[in-house]
Amino acid sequence: MSATLSTAPLTSPDASPRRRRLSWPAWGWSLIGVLAVWALIVVVRPGAPFDPLAQALTLAPFLVLVALGQMLVITLGPGNIDVSVGTIISMASYVSVAVGAAAGPTAGVLAAVGAGIAAAVCSVIAILLLRVPPIIATLATSLIVSSATLLLADASRHSADAGLRAFVNAKILGVPLIALLVLAVTIVVALMLRHTRFGLSIIAVGQSARAAERAGIKVWAITALAYLLCGAFAGLAGGLLAAFISPSTVLGTSYMLDSIAVVVIGGTLISGGRAVAAGAWTGALFFVLLSGLLNLVGWSIGAQNILKGVLVVAVVVVSAAATGTGRSSLARLRDTLQIRNKNKETTHG
Amino acid sequence: MSDTALSESATAVPSTPSTAPTIVARGVTKSYGKTRALRGVDLRLEHGEILGLVGHNGAGKSTLMRMLAGIEQPDDGAVDARERRAGAAWNADSAAASGVRMVYQELALCDDLTVAENAALSDPRPTGLWGWRGRAEQRIGTALDTVFPGHGISVLRRTGELAMAERQMVEIARALCTDALSMLILDEPTESLGVDATAQLYAHLRTLTRRGVSVLLISHRMQEVLANSDRIAVMKDGTVVETFAAAATSESELLVAMGGEVRAAGADVTAPRAADLTAERGAIVATVRAASGISFEARAGELIGLAGLAGQGQEQLLNKLWGAGALSRGVTVPRRRAYVPGDRQTSGILPLWSVAENLTISAMRGISRLGIINGRAKRELAAEWIGALKVRGDAATPITALSGGNQQKVLVARAFAADAQMVLLDDPFRGVDVATKNELYALMKAEAAAGRCIVWYSTENSEMAHCDRVYVFRANRLVSELSGESNTEERIIADSFDENTGDQR
Repeated sequence: MSATLSTAPLTSPDASPRRRRLSWPAWGWSLIGVLAVWALIVVVRPGAPFDPLAQALTLAPFLVLVALGQMLVITLGPGNIDVSVGTIISMASYVSVAVGAAAGPTAGVLAAVGAGIAAAVCSVIAILLLRVPPIIATLATSLIVSSATLLLADASRHSADAGLRAFVNAKILGVPLIALLVLAVTIVVALMLRHTRFGLSIIAVGQSARAAERAGIKVWAITALAYLLCGAFAGLAGGLLAAFISPSTVLGTSYMLDSIAVVVIGGTLISGGRAVAAGAWTGALFFVLLSGLLNLVGWSIGAQNILKGVLVVAVVVVSAAATGTGRSSLARLRDTLQIRNKNKETTHG
Repeated sequence: MSDTALSESATAVPSTPSTAPTIVARGVTKSYGKTRALRGVDLRLEHGEILGLVGHNGAGKSTLMRMLAGIEQPDDGAVDARERRAGAAWNADSAAASGVRMVYQELALCDDLTVAENAALSDPRPTGLWGWRGRAEQRIGTALDTVFPGHGISVLRRTGELAMAERQMVEIARALCTDALSMLILDEPTESLGVDATAQLYAHLRTLTRRGVSVLLISHRMQEVLANSDRIAVMKDGTVVETFAAAATSESELLVAMGGEVRAAGADVTAPRAADLTAERGAIVATVRAASGISFEARAGELIGLAGLAGQGQEQLLNKLWGAGALSRGVTVPRRRAYVPGDRQTSGILPLWSVAENLTISAMRGISRLGIINGRAKRELAAEWIGALKVRGDAATPITALSGGNQQKVLVARAFAADAQMVLLDDPFRGVDVATKNELYALMKAEAAAGRCIVWYSTENSEMAHCDRVYVFRANRLVSELSGESNTEERIIADSFDENTGDQR
């Protein structure tokens, strides 16, 4: 019966036009999460309520950059994921510093972006030419990249350029300059997804690669571009983090899982076909604030990670039910209860 | 383990008096958001009869069918079944328990499972931990042999590898793998079947009804419904407007009751905008020469038909034309091409998008500059085509809220809205009603006259009369080329079967 039931949701009530237009934004839940965690921090440590938010705004932009790239890849549809972003960040931090010392900080950051793209080229070749599943392909890429990182770390004798360091720490009216720049990047990505051939093509491929191919979209080119952009974003984040923190072989480690979690919490469909760029911000702020809160109350890193994992699952269930785009288990449960109640009425009445 | 639904010898005459109707719907209403799909339907399916159900796309046939099968619940009104235990609700479980089975129009097989595994999935009987695979292989094999003798389908093959017609046979046969079948619901069962298989299916339906099984047959093929039903119910705008005795009615009477004017080929469709085409009319725009006996050419301004029995190489030719690149040998094609897929659920619609987004996705090149899409041009293009093809709902309606026929209109509009020199159609009019088909035929003719080259594969031979030239396929070869006087349905059928016009296999 399971196979036959699968066609039923095609015309289910979720699909009514009105409901979609008035629906709660996909990033709404994560925004509520941000406000709730912020409120908790203020309760735990009263005084200077805007401090934790300002602190989060200095850390979140890097995570947002990585998450935007990850979002493009995840939007390509089932199975698409880039698990190499963490190691790319670490490698790019060394590249940024080494090239920066020789040719100036701008060249350093550009070289970091280039290193990210080069790593993504490995993934793209494996995915498109060798037809390796993306999770395996990007895992292989991350092994290559971490070896390269170790070589770079052995040769590294430099530290980040002072100018670049000043740039990533600069503030305008108390707001980090980097946050404003990443906000601009986010807006560009959001507009690109809605109004360009590339953006719409990514979303079409994510809904159904077969249908997109028959509609005349070059699926391979779109897939390649999305992974390359993801690599570029990770490289950029790494190049900037080199100056904000310092190059390290474990600099990017936490970004791999965090970027995926942020994308999902932000409202992007994990099954592809719907990207929510604004959600990268609400998701990243939520994550950074949550870490701050848990550090404040003295949770260990291990316990924090367990909570993050639970949160990701909870958010997938709740947000899918709330926005009505995916039929989550919660929505199904609700439908079942409604039917049961109605049946009770009819049998009694 | 006897398959009562199948074995001819089984004398499973129900103990209930044969006068009680199998299922009765009373005042059933159902709304999806603002769309009222059903507004008070009364329908009665007698014991051991075949009830035909006809109506235009969007009349509510599929919705009613899902109510009767218990898959969805009516907003108001009730469905009452003879086999239902007193007090039990009518839902998917109780319907399955009372022997109701349904065959879907949109094929619902899992591509990565074998024929037998798919059958086991939908079989309501307990499977047990061991030996279920063997039992399922035997059951579905028997069912296929009984209904479609000489089907040639191995039950061990993955269903994804099967041709459309074979998948449809499996879908039908697996619905018969059940004990105590009481009611069979068929939604457009013959749209992808060949002539032989269609005849075999109807013959088997008769043996089922003799044993007391009731059959609800939904089809756009009026002749088939007239020839094979006992009674025919006509649906229009969410209600059953009239019920006829099949022997005492005619096709035109049904069409009048459906509310569709009987229009000849000249439906009033005007193509919204003249395509911007570089090729001159009559110039050869595409050729295919393959060692396997295919020699095909297409000119600008031509409407070319690909005919023959299903799965004789027509799809391969379309794929060659569609997928050709700089490296493909023996194939020359125009650079800009568009494709209308036949299987709209898996390779047609983009389910999360609205009508307008689905319609304009192939036309992005024409309405964008430097990769940025002109929002106004996009809205205008969508509005023009929605108006021209009278698509139900507006531009912002989600594509999944439309009925199958309207979705197909959007997919055809998508292909013609693109600035393609060559449009390929892969048997796209399965399950589309007569009025819509006539509109789409007229559109295709107008577009061909405007200078496009249209290549159209169809399993319905009568449709080929609309074409300028028809290639008939058999066993992956082009066996004949018909045009003008020689382009008749009889000739196509003769060439599809005749062993003498071509190679002796």
